[in-house]
Amino acid sequence: MITETVRSTDVALSIRSVSKAFTARPVLRDVSMTLRRGRATCLYGINGAGKSTLLRIAAGLLRPDAGSVSIEGRDVREHPEEAKRRLGLISHASMAYAELTVLENLRFTADLYCVSNRAVRIEQLLAETGLGPFRYDCAGILSRGLLQRLAIARALLHEPSVLLADEPFTGLDVQALEHLIGIFETFVRQGGTIFMTTHDTRLGLRCCDRVVVLDQGVVLLDKTKKEIDPERFAEDYLSYARSQN
Amino acid sequence: MRRWFMALAIVMLMLSTWLGLTKGQIVPVQRNILYVHVPNSIGALLCFAVLLVASVAYLITDRQIYDWIAAAAAEVGTVLASILNATGMIFSRAEWNVWWTPSPRLVSSALLWFLYVVYLILRTSLPGSPRRRARICAVFGIIAFLDVPMVYISARFIPDIHRPDFSFESSWQSLALMLGMVGTIVLAGVLIWLRTDLLRRRFELENRLHD
Amino acid sequence: MKSAWSGFKAIVIKDLVIELRARQVLPTMIVLGMLIVFILRLVVEPSSGRAEMPMMAAAALWIAFLFSGLLAQERSFGVEQQNGCIDGLWSAPLDAGTIYLAKLLANVVILSIFEMVIVPAVLLSFSLRVTGRWLDLVIVLALGNLGISSVGTLFSAVVQLARTRGALLSIVVLVVLLPMLIPASFALLVLFGAMPEEVGGSGTLAFVGSFRAAQGYLLAFDAVFIVACWLLFGVVVKE
Repeated sequence: MITETVRSTDVALSIRSVSKAFTARPVLRDVSMTLRRGRATCLYGINGAGKSTLLRIAAGLLRPDAGSVSIEGRDVREHPEEAKRRLGLISHASMAYAELTVLENLRFTADLYCVSNRAVRIEQLLAETGLGPFRYDCAGILSRGLLQRLAIARALLHEPSVLLADEPFTGLDVQALEHLIGIFETFVRQGGTIFMTTHDTRLGLRCCDRVVVLDQGVVLLDKTKKEIDPERFAEDYLSYARSQN
Repeated sequence: MRRWFMALAIVMLMLSTWLGLTKGQIVPVQRNILYVHVPNSIGALLCFAVLLVASVAYLITDRQIYDWIAAAAAEVGTVLASILNATGMIFSRAEWNVWWTPSPRLVSSALLWFLYVVYLILRTSLPGSPRRRARICAVFGIIAFLDVPMVYISARFIPDIHRPDFSFESSWQSLALMLGMVGTIVLAGVLIWLRTDLLRRRFELENRLHD
Repeated sequence: MKSAWSGFKAIVIKDLVIELRARQVLPTMIVLGMLIVFILRLVVEPSSGRAEMPMMAAAALWIAFLFSGLLAQERSFGVEQQNGCIDGLWSAPLDAGTIYLAKLLANVVILSIFEMVIVPAVLLSFSLRVTGRWLDLVIVLALGNLGISSVGTLFSAVVQLARTRGALLSIVVLVVLLPMLIPASFALLVLFGAMPEEVGGSGTLAFVGSFRAAQGYLLAFDAVFIVACWLLFGVVVKE
């Protein structure tokens, strides 16, 4: 359990008693957690544990049956526009239109979020993600790694304070992985908050300083990296995951 | 409780039929089908109103019961609308020698029937969670209801050469008609009530099986 | 407000650019429309008199509009299926109603492009003349377009959301649009010269047969359904 007291101004993402059921079986049961600004939290769990569902609820894509989520104090359901403006979403799909070029995709996102200094921000992100040379290429012909970079650029364009990432490491090669981790680290260093889900214990532990394990919709473990032994955790998690199959 | 209402409805309908065939018989004999046609028209429209109210209530309160009421109203309404169309066609054949013609009354009846049927098809073929299906059907219910006054108005654009000009003059006839209407309404209400209950019990049973 | 306008404009332009670039749906729409016109032209008796032509033409036009319109509507949210783009829309700080209006406008534009091809096709194959009433024709078709697109855009989102077949979209849209077709056909028949403009109404129904009333009806129909669909859109996509 997080023992330090948290000031409300420090809270970037607050999940309160969220429950969700799609059919008779509940996917999330009374899940609560509070994420402080400037921290990265990793959510582990086997398939079906409810990780993606929780993330989608946090992003405002799904409505919880009970409970609420706030981004920097703004409830996602009651003040959706203010909350979503502060959110960036990276999912395992790139959310890019295949027929549009990289530049057009970014311009579209900038307009969706009404980014004021659109041209400047786009150039900045093209440089940061190394997509400059590909700006006139249609998203349909990009490789998986490049598409992921486009997804990152898309997510960071409007300078969000909270980044939600659903399995961001899937299908990336070593170079792309290192690049992504670098971007995450920079983001956190600049005061942003990350909430990601992943299967990969090693990568998750590298990026994040807090781990949460979700099992059948319930929080099984919620500790900072300092409180656990990373090596043992990785082993234990692996054997736990195997035992669930 | 419901049994009394059901019995009352059946008694009223039987009385209406008997009266209609004896004391209140309308002169060209086929017009007596109006004793069935008109009550069903009112009944089908009222069922749609129930469907609308239930749909709106479901969207506002998010309580399952309204979804079941809407479904029940749709089923009962479909039956009433089918009878409405069938009797309308019989009347049309007997009176004007055509089984169907785009006269305002027949067009409106047909559209009502189609709206009901599409609602039922939506209910049965939408995949996914029951809540999502309920929401989608509720939205369709509201949009479909908007169609009803729309078709009554737009049907005015059809040159209606056949203007039915009968009226229920004698008091026996009015009584028979009134009994028919009230009986149909009560019967429809009871059936909706029964069906809602059935849907609710099935849902509870399924949930219990799950646990 | 500024952000809503910015998002609205972005979605409309994006949809049109993608359609013009990928040509996902317009060619099929046009071919389907032309086939419908062709088939209806063929099934009219070859020896039919001049009286039947305008009626079949009006029928052909609206049927082509309806069915090709369905294709356009399927596209409106079908285009967001790939790469999870729909999540990009829902997670943006944009009101659902604004998204609906943007998709509606894109659909109307695409259907208008279709209209520009199909109307000459109908006029030619049925040997019709629309002397001097071009503006009225444009208005009637635009009103029909709006009505068809308004309902179709809403239910396209439903179909995409429920991941179901397009056949469901067809029956839902067609049944809701039925009332509109009566004055719409009447208006076209007047424009094609097959019916007099003002047929005296019998009894209480003063506007039976009035062309202006038909246009007024279409306008009212569009207004009612655009507002209703706009309001209900947010409800239907709430997950």
